[in-house]
Amino acid sequence: MAVDTLPAAATTPRQHQRAAKKPRNKEALTAWLFILPSLIGFLIFTAGPVLAAGVISLLNWNLFSSPTWAGLKNFARLGPDPTFWSALGNTAYFTFVSVPVTIVVSLALALLLNEGVRRIAVFRSLLLLPYATITVAVAFVWIWLYIPRDGLVNAVLGLVGIDGPQWLISDNWAMPALIAMSVWKSFGFGMVVFLAGLQAIPQQLYEAAKVDGSNAWQTFRSVTLPMLSPALFFVVVTSVIGSFQVFDQALIMTNGGPGSRTTTLVMYIYRTGFENYDQGYAAAQSLVLFGFIVVITAAQFLLQRRLVHYDN
Amino acid sequence: MQTQLSRRSLLKLTGLAGLGAAAAGCSSGPSSGAAWAMWSSSPAERKVWEDFSAYVERELKVESLPTLTPSGGYPTKLDLQLVSGTAGLVTALNGWLIPTYAARGAHRPLDDLIAGDPDFDLDDFYRPIRDISSFNGQTYAIGFDVAPTVIYYNKTLLAAKGIPAPSPTVPMSWATFRDLAKELTGPDQYGFTCAPSVDDLVSWIYCAGGNVMNEAWDKSALNAPEAMEAVQYVVDLFVKDKVTPPIANLVTESSLANFMEGNVAFMHNGPWQVVNVRKAKFDWDIMPFPAGAAGSTPRVSGSSFAIPAKVRGEDLDLAWKLLKTLTSEGALDIYAEAGRNNPARLSAGSAFKPPPDNLGIVQDILAGKIAGGHPFDVTTNWNQVKQLLGQDLPRTFLGQVSVQEAIDGITPRLDVLMEQHQDNVRQASARKG
Repeated sequence: MAVDTLPAAATTPRQHQRAAKKPRNKEALTAWLFILPSLIGFLIFTAGPVLAAGVISLLNWNLFSSPTWAGLKNFARLGPDPTFWSALGNTAYFTFVSVPVTIVVSLALALLLNEGVRRIAVFRSLLLLPYATITVAVAFVWIWLYIPRDGLVNAVLGLVGIDGPQWLISDNWAMPALIAMSVWKSFGFGMVVFLAGLQAIPQQLYEAAKVDGSNAWQTFRSVTLPMLSPALFFVVVTSVIGSFQVFDQALIMTNGGPGSRTTTLVMYIYRTGFENYDQGYAAAQSLVLFGFIVVITAAQFLLQRRLVHYDN
Repeated sequence: MQTQLSRRSLLKLTGLAGLGAAAAGCSSGPSSGAAWAMWSSSPAERKVWEDFSAYVERELKVESLPTLTPSGGYPTKLDLQLVSGTAGLVTALNGWLIPTYAARGAHRPLDDLIAGDPDFDLDDFYRPIRDISSFNGQTYAIGFDVAPTVIYYNKTLLAAKGIPAPSPTVPMSWATFRDLAKELTGPDQYGFTCAPSVDDLVSWIYCAGGNVMNEAWDKSALNAPEAMEAVQYVVDLFVKDKVTPPIANLVTESSLANFMEGNVAFMHNGPWQVVNVRKAKFDWDIMPFPAGAAGSTPRVSGSSFAIPAKVRGEDLDLAWKLLKTLTSEGALDIYAEAGRNNPARLSAGSAFKPPPDNLGIVQDILAGKIAGGHPFDVTTNWNQVKQLLGQDLPRTFLGQVSVQEAIDGITPRLDVLMEQHQDNVRQASARKG
């Protein structure tokens, strides 16, 4: 019998390894090529500015004249600066109220839509509209809604006998007013993520829970919530990061007032850098904010190991 | 014929397209011509600057390249342009920002260019705009408009109440003004409107003989009796006398919008709003600012053109010619005829024509013929001063804190800002050598 190909046994283990590696290398190369545009973007627009901020934070620089060396002086200025701490407090208040409220609202709506609502795509699109609308436009509409005497919010409250506050100029209500607007603006994003997560939960798990005699709350706690935990984790992390960077709505709706009740950290950084021309100090503040976000995100990732359930 | 695109070819094409887009994005703007920067927030303003641009091309025989930016974002864009060296040869500056930029070396002094140009007559510019455009004894900019704050009044409302039109030459007293504002206040009608901001407060402070800073500009003077009296007077109009429309928020509150409703008798504003108030559906005019203990000496504001510090060599020559053209009588005639504001040159003054009937008082005030004016005194860190006062003072207008409490809280921080200002001046002087 004529044999025109080499038998498989003729290849050595080394040759076999090389042959197996080749496609893997090719795959890796393709992967790198796909990642490259994002990587270049990351290096130029994220890592680069962070490094630059690190350098600038060690300088006295007013933007126009040559910078001079400041060492750690800009970081030392943070301690005795009451505006910085008050802005940080306001930002924390905003984050720790708006994120849970946004998540509860998003999850509730996602659960509602997931319960066989007809024309779900229409509702999903409508509810996503606030998220898709630019913040500046939304902020101006909400300024109008919050007008104390003739605004829609107080008019509605008036119908149920409540004398609404002077929302945006009240010491106590300006921040809650901003939070309410932000929740309305951003719940759509969480809702879509949760909806996708809910629709990916295998029906067998619900059937098994039913067989076991679980009621609705037990099913939600033991099936839905664990299976949804990766989506929940993603929304919490991105919402916390986004909330720590809150800027535009506060600038437009209250300009940080009344007093400094709604001055957020990013607003203060912007003012320090571009209105007070104190680039070094603004960079130091930015790095501290970056540090806060990194620490909080790291803590969330640590908690993830205990609280987030991955199917695999 | 169908051609199949392999994954590799697709990647190559995508990469090339990306590089092309990046190259297009990185390419700089026009590199020749007379580039200048200006703010512009409405089609009417845009038209004025287009006419300016055509005038520049006629006069200089070079391409005019204006960069127009909405006024809200103009300072930030200008900062970025100045830092990146793309600011153009001449940039417009609001007068209150001139010390800020000058102290930081963003713009160059013009004294050498003025001295070396026998055709240029600085004396043809009103004294207040020359003061506003100077810093540390040097001229950093040349004005294109200048005007004192005045009071607009709704003639229709006054006539309906049988109140005679106020004198265009004799400023009324603060007491008379308050009484009139009260008399003209009724259901859905208000006697007075102004912005709850330091920009509007300073006119009252100057009229009372006070200022934001002391004479040496190294300490706050808001707690001096004169300034306190002025702030209390205005706050009382809001909180005690309730002659002003209710404040809905502290960001978009606009005295112009209130006045244009037609139910406000008096508005605190500048002649730069004449062009907008001309759209009013009622009769109106302007009068001198009410006189306090120091007389009628309201804030005089103005805007100017300056040359960035990075402009040198042949560019500097063109920049100076461009700046002279943009502030020439011909250009300011265009500006004044459009009714934008009172031009900065005496020789172009007559071009700012009525209505309103009393418009002439603007020039008379600037020339010191009636009442007076007080150049807007600003420090090299006025942005910070404005922020501080803008955050804490409006709470008095809302009745949330008393004037005394607010100023007691502001004073130590304002003192620190005054010290910083002195540091800025010292650093600028050291740079000057």
